[in-house]
Amino acid sequence: MLALLWLKLTAMCHYKFSTMTRPHKLRIKLHYNQHAMSLYRSAVRLLPACLRVTSRRALVTSSARTKDHDLHLPTPAGPLGTWATLKPRPEKYVDTEADIDPSVTDPLRHPDYFGVRELFTMSDLFDARVHLGHREGSLNPYMAEFLLGSRLGHCVFDLERTAQLLRDALNFTAHIAYRGGIIMFVCRSPQHVHMVERTAMECGEFSHCRHWPPGVFTDSTALFGGVTRLPDLLVLLNTLDTVLEQHGAVKHAAKMLIPTVGVVDSNCDPRLVTYPVPGNDDSTTAVRLYCKLFSEAIRRGKAEREKSAVV
Amino acid sequence: MNFIWMLFPTQIDKFWDIAKKGAVVIMSLGRVRVLEALWRLPATRLSASTVCPTVCRPLSSAGARSGPTSPDPQEQAGQVQQRPAKNTSKAMMAYLERATKHEEFMRKQVHEFEIGKRHLANMMGEDPEHFTQEDVDRAIEYLFPTGIFDKKARPKMRHPTEVFPQQKAAQFDATGRPFHTLFYTLKPNFYMTLYELVEKMNQLDRLQAKNDALGKLPDTTQKLSLLGSEWLDIEELGKMLVETLKEPQYQEFVRAMNRLVEHPLAYHHKDFIFKYRKMLRVSNETDTVPELLFDSAGRPYMEATGYRKRAVARAVVHGRGSGRVTVNGLPLVHYFHRDGGRSGNQDVAQVMYPLQVAGVLDSVDVEATVQYDGPTQRYHGKRRRGHRKRTSFVPEPWKRPHPVQAPSSQAGAVRHAVSLALRSFVDKEMQETMRLAGLLTRDVRERERYKPGKKGSRKGRTWKKR
Repeated sequence: MLALLWLKLTAMCHYKFSTMTRPHKLRIKLHYNQHAMSLYRSAVRLLPACLRVTSRRALVTSSARTKDHDLHLPTPAGPLGTWATLKPRPEKYVDTEADIDPSVTDPLRHPDYFGVRELFTMSDLFDARVHLGHREGSLNPYMAEFLLGSRLGHCVFDLERTAQLLRDALNFTAHIAYRGGIIMFVCRSPQHVHMVERTAMECGEFSHCRHWPPGVFTDSTALFGGVTRLPDLLVLLNTLDTVLEQHGAVKHAAKMLIPTVGVVDSNCDPRLVTYPVPGNDDSTTAVRLYCKLFSEAIRRGKAEREKSAVV
Repeated sequence: MNFIWMLFPTQIDKFWDIAKKGAVVIMSLGRVRVLEALWRLPATRLSASTVCPTVCRPLSSAGARSGPTSPDPQEQAGQVQQRPAKNTSKAMMAYLERATKHEEFMRKQVHEFEIGKRHLANMMGEDPEHFTQEDVDRAIEYLFPTGIFDKKARPKMRHPTEVFPQQKAAQFDATGRPFHTLFYTLKPNFYMTLYELVEKMNQLDRLQAKNDALGKLPDTTQKLSLLGSEWLDIEELGKMLVETLKEPQYQEFVRAMNRLVEHPLAYHHKDFIFKYRKMLRVSNETDTVPELLFDSAGRPYMEATGYRKRAVARAVVHGRGSGRVTVNGLPLVHYFHRDGGRSGNQDVAQVMYPLQVAGVLDSVDVEATVQYDGPTQRYHGKRRRGHRKRTSFVPEPWKRPHPVQAPSSQAGAVRHAVSLALRSFVDKEMQETMRLAGLLTRDVRERERYKPGKKGSRKGRTWKKR
C-alpha cells in the first residue's frame, strides 16, 4: 500500500523534467533523507524502464530568491537542531505500535502519549491535497529539502516527511494542551478565517485571523492595558500574510520564545517555525484537515488533563 | 485556591453568558479592600442593576485545577483574609491592583458628589435627603448663570459613573487565561460581531440551497425595509462594543452588513441587523397637529403663532366663515396698504396664499395680530452729494417713526401663523401639500450683521488703486 502511494508520488515527479538552461542561476541540490531514498529506490525498480531516470536534476532557483536571507541565519543545520536538513533521519524512528514500550507511563518520556499517529494516514494527506505546492518560481530555498521534486513546474511535497513532522507537531500541541497552555490559531487566508475561528472556539482555545498589529506580543502591556499572559503555542495554518510577506507572528513569537507550529508551503520560510509542517496551506480541504487534526490533538490533551485532575 | 472575579457594569450580560456555559468562576483571596470598597457604596447605587459594580459568585470546587484541591466551603469564608495564592498569574495581580486603585478613586468621587449634593440642597433651602438630579441641574443653573452657547461647555454636576468612562472588567481568570476566544485580536467584541455575521450568511446560504431544492421562493411580504434608519456611526458602534474602532474596520463592518442585508432571506436575522441600525426621526411625523377647538357658539377655531424675521404674529382662524381677514383690527388690504413705494399687494397675496392652497378662501375667517420688533436694512443706497431726500442710512428702530415698518416680514409672520392654524381644518394629504409648498416652515433667514470695513454685511467700500 505504501509502495503504491510512493509510486503515485514519485511517478508524478519524475515523468518529465524541465530542461532549464540558465547558466547564471544558483543551483541548489536537493537533500534527501536516507530512509526515503531507500524507499524510492525500491519503488523505482517497479517502474517501467522508460520512466526510470538515471540522474536526479536539481530544482533550479533564481538568485533573486536569495534576497530573503536578510535574517542572516546560518545554514539550516543550525541551532534548531532536530529538523536540520543535512542530518540524516534517525534510524530508530517510532513508526509502528511494536516500537512503543508499554512500561513507559511518563507522558514526556512516552514517544506518542496521546496516540496522534492514529489521527491520520498518508492517504488522508494525499486525498486532502497536502502534497501540492506552488510553482518552482516561488520556491523558497529552505523548503527545497521537504520536496520530492516538481511536476510540470509545480512542487510536490514529500508526504512521508510531512507525516513525520505533522505527528511531531500534533504531539507537541497535545502536550501543551495537557499542561493547560494557551494555544492560538493564526490564519490570514480570507476564505478560511471563519473555519479557523470556529475550530478555535469549539476546542476552547484562541485565534487571531485578523490584521496583526506589530506590538501584540512585543508590546503587550501597552496594547492590552496591563500585564497579559501570552499564548504558550501558536498554530499557524498560514505563515504568510495576505500580502505574501511573512506573518509578523512568526518573528514576534520567536522573539518572545513562544513555540510555533506552522504549516509551511513551498513559498514560505520555515526557519523561525519550531515545528514546521511542510504542506499545502491554500486548499480548503487541506486546511479543513489541519483544523480537524489540531482540534482533536487539543481535545485529547485536555481530556487527559481532566482525567489526571479528577484522579 | 479561590479568587474573586469583579465585574463592571458593561460586562454583566457577558458574565451570565459565560457562567451559563459552565466556565469556572473563582472566588478571590486577599484584595479585601476591593470588596469592602464596593460594599461601602451607597445602597441606592447598588440596587440599580445597570449601575451595580459587583457580582460575585462562590467557587464550584469541581472546576479547580491548578495547585492543591480546593478547601471546603466553610473554610473559604475564613480564608478571604489570606494573601493571594502563589499561582495567581502576574496578569491577574496587575489587574487586581488596577481595579483596587480604580475602586478607591471612584469611591472618593462618589463621596464628594454626595457631599456636594447636600451642600447644594442646603444652599437652595431644600431637603438634602430628597434632592434629585433634576434639582441639582436647576440649582447649578441658578447659582452659576452662564451665557455660553455650547451646552456641553456649561457647568454641570453628574454622578461619577456618568462622568468617568466605563472600564472593561477582568478579561481573564486567575491563571491569566482569557475568557474570550478572540481576546488577542485586541477587539474581541468587534471581531465576534463579524464572525456572527459570517455565520448568519452561511446559515442563509444553506437555507436558500434547501429552499431551492424544494422549489420554495423567499417570502417577499417579509422583505427587510431599511427606510428611515441608518447604520450606527463609528463612535456609536464603538460605544456599544466598548472598543474604539478605526475607519477601515468600520468600513469593513458596513460592507459586510450591507452584504447580509442584500441576501433575499435576510429577514430571518432582522433583530441582529436592526441592533446595529438607528432610526431616523422624521419631523413631520412627530409634529402632532392639535385638535380643533370650539367656542361658545359651537364654531370651530384654532390659534397659532407665526414668525418671520423679527415679526411675531398670532392668528385665530374660525371655521364656518366667509373669508374675512383682519390684521391688528384693520381689514387686510388697509393694513398692508403703503403710501408711496410699494402697494402692498404682495403682502396681501402672501397672507391669502395659505387659504388659497387649502381651498378655504370663502369658508374661514381670520383675525390676526402682528407685532414687529427689530431693525431691517442698514444700508439702503449710494450716498450722493446734493441728494438730501434719500438717506443712505436707515436709523435704528427707536429713532424711526412708528407704526408700520418692514411690512413684508409682518405679512410673512401672519402667513406662517395662518398656515399653522389651518392644519387642524384640513386632512393629512392637504397638510402634506402645505408642507411641500413651504407654508409650515419657519423661515429662518434673518438680517446678516454689519461688519466693520464694509458698507453693510457684504458690500465693500470703494476700491482705490492708489
